[in-house]
Amino acid sequence: VTRYRWATPWLFLAPVLALFGVFKFWPTIWGMYLSFFEVRPYLGNRWVGWDNFTTAFHDPVLRSAVGHTLLDAVVTVAASALLGFGLALLLEGPARHLRILRTAAFLPVVTAMVAVAELWNTLLYPGSFGTVNTLLGHLGLGAQPFLSSPHSSLASVMLVQVWKSAPYDMVIFVAGLAGIDRQLYEAAAIDGAGARHRLRHVTLPALRPVTTIVLTLGIIRGLRVFTEIYVLTGGGPAGSTETIVTYTYKEGIQNNTLGLASAVSTVLFLVTVLLTCLTLWWRRRKEA
Amino acid sequence: MCERSLIETKLNAAAAAHKLPDVVIDDGAQLGTFKKQGIITEVDKSKITGAGQVSATAWKSVADDKGATYGVPFSAQANVLLIRSDWLQKVHMQPPTTWDQLEAVAKAFTTQDPDGNGKNDTFGLDVPGSTQRGYLSWYWSNFLYQAGGDFLTPTGSGGFTSTIGSDQAVTAADFLKKLYCTDKVVQPGALNQVTTDTNKAFQTGVAGMYLTGPYAYATTDATAVKGKYAVVAPPAGPKGVGALAEGTTLYAMAGSQRSADFATLASYMVSPEAQTTGMTGVPTATIVRLPINTTVDAAEVHGGDPRWQTAQDVYAKSSTYEPVSAPDWQTYRNDASETLNKLLSGCGDSKQALAGLDSTYRSLLKK
Repeated sequence: VTRYRWATPWLFLAPVLALFGVFKFWPTIWGMYLSFFEVRPYLGNRWVGWDNFTTAFHDPVLRSAVGHTLLDAVVTVAASALLGFGLALLLEGPARHLRILRTAAFLPVVTAMVAVAELWNTLLYPGSFGTVNTLLGHLGLGAQPFLSSPHSSLASVMLVQVWKSAPYDMVIFVAGLAGIDRQLYEAAAIDGAGARHRLRHVTLPALRPVTTIVLTLGIIRGLRVFTEIYVLTGGGPAGSTETIVTYTYKEGIQNNTLGLASAVSTVLFLVTVLLTCLTLWWRRRKEA
Repeated sequence: MCERSLIETKLNAAAAAHKLPDVVIDDGAQLGTFKKQGIITEVDKSKITGAGQVSATAWKSVADDKGATYGVPFSAQANVLLIRSDWLQKVHMQPPTTWDQLEAVAKAFTTQDPDGNGKNDTFGLDVPGSTQRGYLSWYWSNFLYQAGGDFLTPTGSGGFTSTIGSDQAVTAADFLKKLYCTDKVVQPGALNQVTTDTNKAFQTGVAGMYLTGPYAYATTDATAVKGKYAVVAPPAGPKGVGALAEGTTLYAMAGSQRSADFATLASYMVSPEAQTTGMTGVPTATIVRLPINTTVDAAEVHGGDPRWQTAQDVYAKSSTYEPVSAPDWQTYRNDASETLNKLLSGCGDSKQALAGLDSTYRSLLKK
C-alpha cells in the first residue's frame, strides 16, 4: 500500500484538475492553437501562420485599446488599493459597529457587475437632470457629460471600477492589519513613535505581502476588464473606452474573426503570465 | 436588429461539430456572412409553392451578388418615424416630411418644453448611436438612402464597389452631424446607446422622434405614450423619401439531409396562412412584421390599423435593403458605425471621415 502513497494527493486533486483541464487548460491551449488559423467552423480552419498576430500588432484600434487598458489598470489598481487601505485603517477592529460598516462597504463587491454598471449608467446620465448632475447642480457646478464624451468616458468607467474594487482591497488589507503583532505598535509607542511614524515604519512594512497580492490581483483584473465597459459604453464613444477584451469580443463575436481574437487573447494571456511571474519574483527578492 | 450573439455562438459551435440544424430563421442581414462561412445552401425557388406571390423586393433581398437565391424571405420591414403627436400640438407643428422640417421640429421639441413640465429636459431625436453590433450605421442608413447614397454597389458581374465616400453619403453624414453637433437636438448619451435605451427614451418622454421598425408599435403601445404618438413615413432627403428595409429569412443549412422538406416548410412559411399567423399569433411581438406575400395586407390583418398601412407603403415604395449579400456584411456595418460614432463625438469633417471608411471598405473588398 505504501508504494502508492504518492498517488493519494493526486487522487484528492483529481476532480478539480479534471474540471480545470476541461474548462480552463484545454480551452486555453485550443485558443492558442486557433491563433494561427483563419477560423472557419464549417469549411475547416485555414492555416495563416503569424498573420493574425501581424494584423493585431498593426491595428491602430488595438494599439489605442492597449493604451486605454494599461491606463485603466494602473489608475484603478492604485486608486482602489489606496482607498481600500484607507477604508481598512478606518474600519479595522473587532467592534460590532465596525463589522456592520465593513459589511456595508463590502456590498459593492458581492453585487453583480452588470447590475452595478446599469445602476451607474443611470446615476451618470449626462443630461442636466441626471442624478449625479442634479447633485452637481446643487453645488453650483455645470452638467458633466460623464460617459457620453470621449474626454471623460474612461475616467467615468474608472470611477465605477474603483467603487466596486476598493472594498475588495479593503478586506484583504483588514486581514493583513489583523495579522500585525500588537506588541510592535506598543514597542514603537514606547520608543516615542507617533501615529504617522507607526504607520510608516510598522504597518506599511508588515503589509508588504498583502500589498503584493492586492496589486497582482488588481493588475490581472485590470488587464481583462470587460463587463463594466461593455455595459456602460460598449467601448465608445469614438473608441475612447475600447480595451483589449472589448476589442477581442468585437473581432471574435461581431466581426467573426475568431482567429484574430484568439491571437489577441493569446498575447494577453502571455503578458499576464509574465507580469504575474515578475511580481512574484520581485516579492521573493524583497522578502528574502 | 437586436442582441443575437447567442444564436451566432451556437451556430458556430454547431458548424464546428458539423451538426447544423436543417433550417435557421434569422436576420436577413446574415446572408453574406453565412454564405461566406459556407453554412447555407442555394435555394431552388421553383420548388416553393407560392413563390410567385412573394414580392420581388423581398426575393431580391435573399439573392447573392450574382443573383443566386440563398434563402426564403419570411418577414420584411421598413423604418418609419414615430413622433409624439401631443408634443407636435404643443409646439403647433405638423409631422415633418422633409429634412428641413425634421430639423425644425427637432429644435422645437428640444427648446419649447413640449411636455410642459417647466424643465429643459426634452429632445428632438432619439438616436441609437452605439457602435455595438453596428447600431449607429443601422440608424444612419435611413438618411443615407434619403440622400441617394449607398454603402456598396454591386458591380453587376458579381462583387461590389465601395460608394461610401460619395457626395450623397457625405450629405447624409453632414445632416446627422448638424443635428447632433450644431443643433444639439439628439438625446443625451446617444453615442453609447443601443435600442433598449432609445426605446426607453421614447417611451419615457425624453425624445420625441424615433426612426425605427414597425415592431416598435407593440412595445410602445404597452407604455404610457400609447395613443400619444403618430407614425409617418421618414422624411424626404435630397433624393426623396427613403428608409432602411430589413427582413427575416429562412436559411437552408448546409449538410441537411432534408432539402425536400425545406421546400415544403418554405412553401408554408410564405403562405397567406402562415404570414397572417406570424403577424397576429403573438400580440406582444409581431413575428412577421410586414408580410412578404403580396396577397396579404398588413393593415387589414391588424384590424385596419393605419400605422401598418404606412409601414407597408414605405416598404413597397421607398425602402432599400443594406447590401446584405456582401461577404461579412456585418463587418462593413460595424466599421461604418465606428466611423460615424467618431465623427459625431468629435464633430469632425464628414468628407474626410467617409474617405477613411471608403479605403477600409476597399481593402475589405479585396480580401
